[in-house]
Amino acid sequence: MCNHCLEISRRSMLAGGGALAASLATGVAQARVRPADMVPLIGPGFQPTDTDEKGLWQLMDRAEEEISGSNLLIKDPELVSYLQGIIGRVGGPAAKDMRIYLAHIPDFNAMMFPSGFAVIFSGLLLRMRNEAQLAGVVAHESGHFLRRHMIRSWRDTRRKSDIFAIGAMAAGVAGAGAGVYLGDYVQLAQLGTILSLFAYSRAMEAEADAMGARLIEEAGYPPIEMANVWDQLIGEEEASARYRRKRRRRGTLFDTHPSPTSRLADLRISASEVTVAGKPYDSRRGHYLSKIGSIRQMLLEDQVKMNDPGASQYLLNTLALDGWNGLLRYYEGEVWRLRNRAGDDARAAQSYAVAVAYPDAPAEAWRWHGLSLIKEGRSGEGKAALGRYLQMKPGAPDAPFIRQMAG
Amino acid sequence: MRKFGIALALAASVAASGCVQSRQYADVQFTPPSGDYRLLVMRPDVTVNSLTTGGMSEPRADWTEQARGNIITALRAEQADRGGKVLVLARRNELPNVTADEIADLERLHYAVGNSIALHKYSGAALPTKRGKGIEYTLGEDAVSLGRRTGYDYALFLYAQDNIASTGRTALQVLGVAGCFIGFCAPSGGSNQFAYASLVDLRSGEVVWFNVLQTGSQLPGVKFGDIRTPQGAAQMVERLVGRMKPGREVREAAEKR
Repeated sequence: MCNHCLEISRRSMLAGGGALAASLATGVAQARVRPADMVPLIGPGFQPTDTDEKGLWQLMDRAEEEISGSNLLIKDPELVSYLQGIIGRVGGPAAKDMRIYLAHIPDFNAMMFPSGFAVIFSGLLLRMRNEAQLAGVVAHESGHFLRRHMIRSWRDTRRKSDIFAIGAMAAGVAGAGAGVYLGDYVQLAQLGTILSLFAYSRAMEAEADAMGARLIEEAGYPPIEMANVWDQLIGEEEASARYRRKRRRRGTLFDTHPSPTSRLADLRISASEVTVAGKPYDSRRGHYLSKIGSIRQMLLEDQVKMNDPGASQYLLNTLALDGWNGLLRYYEGEVWRLRNRAGDDARAAQSYAVAVAYPDAPAEAWRWHGLSLIKEGRSGEGKAALGRYLQMKPGAPDAPFIRQMAG
Repeated sequence: MRKFGIALALAASVAASGCVQSRQYADVQFTPPSGDYRLLVMRPDVTVNSLTTGGMSEPRADWTEQARGNIITALRAEQADRGGKVLVLARRNELPNVTADEIADLERLHYAVGNSIALHKYSGAALPTKRGKGIEYTLGEDAVSLGRRTGYDYALFLYAQDNIASTGRTALQVLGVAGCFIGFCAPSGGSNQFAYASLVDLRSGEVVWFNVLQTGSQLPGVKFGDIRTPQGAAQMVERLVGRMKPGREVREAAEKR
C-alpha cells in the first residue's frame, strides 16, 4: 500500500516539476510581439513550392470545396462581397488571394485555413459594434496567412515529435543497455514536448494580433478597436459566468490562444504604438450597420435562443451603447420572457412597450406587446397592438390564431 | 477531409498487426454485378501521406495525384473484366441533368451512412436488430433518383489512404526491433494502407456491399503494394473490390442446387 503511495507521489512530483519547468521556460503569458516587427512573409499570388506545404494545400482545397458547399453558409451575395471587401482592405499583400465564408453559427469565432480562406461565424457579426472591430478580427486572421503560421506550426510539430520519438527510443535502448528505467524521464519529455507545442501556438496568436493591429492602422481604422473587441468579449464571458454563478475560465498551460486578458493588455499597447498622431481614423459604424441590417434580427434571434441570459443581456447593453432602438429593446424583452423567472413577464412587457415606441420596432414586438397587454387585462389596447402586428405581417404563420384573438 | 471520421473509427477497430486484412459485408440477396451493367464511380477519395519519424501523416500532393490516377486506371480494367460500363467522376458537375450540389449531398449522405456501417459492423457496436442480416443500409430516394436520371445501375464510393514510412520512420522501427535483443522492445508502426469501398444499388437505393481493407506492419521495410505504382494500385483494387462475394441467401440457394 505504502509503496504504491510513494510511487504515486514520485510520479506526481515529476509531473508537477515538469509542468513547472516547462512553464518557466515557455511562460503562460506570452511576451508581446511588436507590430513593427511583423512584416508579411508572402507576396501577392503566393503558391506553395515545398512538398509539405503543397500536400497541405491539396488537403485544404478539398476542405474548401466542402465548406463552400455547406448549407450552414449564409450566401447573401451583398453581405459576402462586403466581407470580401474588408479582407481586401486589411489583407496586406495577399488581399486579392484570400477568400472569406460566413457560417450561420451563433458563436464568437473566426478562423483562417492554411491555403488562405477564412470562415467567420455569424455570432461574430452580432458582437461587432463597427466595421473597424470586424476588420480587426479579419486582419488578425489575415495575419495568420501572411505570417505563414499553419505551415510553420506544422513543421514545428513535426520537428518536435521527431525529436521526441528519437529521444524516447534512444532513452529506452540506452536505459535497457545500462539496466536503468528511464520511463519517467520519457514521460517528462513528452509533457514538455506537448507544452511547447501549445506555447508555440500562443506565440503565433500574439504575432497575428500584432500583425492585425498594423494592418487595420494602415487601412485607416482606429487600431484601439481591436482591443475593444477583447474588452467586450471579456465582459460578455464575465456576465455569462456571473449569471450562472461561476467564474470566468482562467488561462492554463494547455491553451492554444493567449488569455483574453493578456491579449487585451497587449493589444492596447500595440494600438497606441501604431496609432499615428493627427491621422484621421474612421470606424465606419454607420456603413457597418447598414450592411448587416438585413440579418441583424436573425443574429439577435439566434443569440437570445442560446439560453445564456447573462451573455445576451451584456451584448444588448453593449450594442445599445451606440443608442437603443426598437430591435434591441424587443430582444431585451425576449431575454426576460425566455428566462421566465418570477417577475420576468412584467420586465418583458415593459421592454416590448418601449420597443414599439421606436419606428424600427419589428412586427414581433407588436405581437408580444399586444399579448402582454391582454394578459394585464388591457384587452382593448392589446387587440389594437395585435392588429398592428397583423398589418405589418399579414402572412405570419400564426396570423389566423392572432386574428382570432384580436377579434 | 470528412472521410477521416470513418477512417479513424475503422482503423481503431482492426488490430495493427503485420498483415493484410479485409472484411466484407453484403446484403443477403446481393449478387455481384456481372454482364451488361452500368457503374458510376463517385470521385475516389485518395490520399497518400508520408509517415514522419515522429509518426505524423504528412499529405503529399504529387504522390496523391499519382495514386489517384493509378487507382482509377486499375478500377476501369477490373470492371471491364466483369463486363460493366464504367464512368469515373472526376468532378461533381460532370453528369448531365444532375447538379454538383446533388452529387455533394449524396456524398455527404453516404459519409453519414458509411460512418454508421463502420460503427455498427466494424467497431464492435453491433446492433441486435441487424444481426445476421448482412448489410441493411440505404441512401434512399436520392440515390434512386440519381439512377433514374442517369441510367446507371450502381454507384461505387471509394476511399483509399496510404501512409508511406519515411527513412527516419524506418530507422526508428529498426531501432525499436533491434532493442528487443537487449531487453527494450518498442516496435512502432510503419507503412500502412487503409481503404474502403461501398457499392450502392441505384435501383433500390440500398448499400448492397461494403468492404474494408487494412494493411500494416510493425516490421520495418514491409510494404503491401505501393499505390503510387500501377502494380500496387491494381493490387489494392483487386483486394478491395475484386473479390465480391454474394450475399448469404444467394450463397445458400446456390449450395442447395
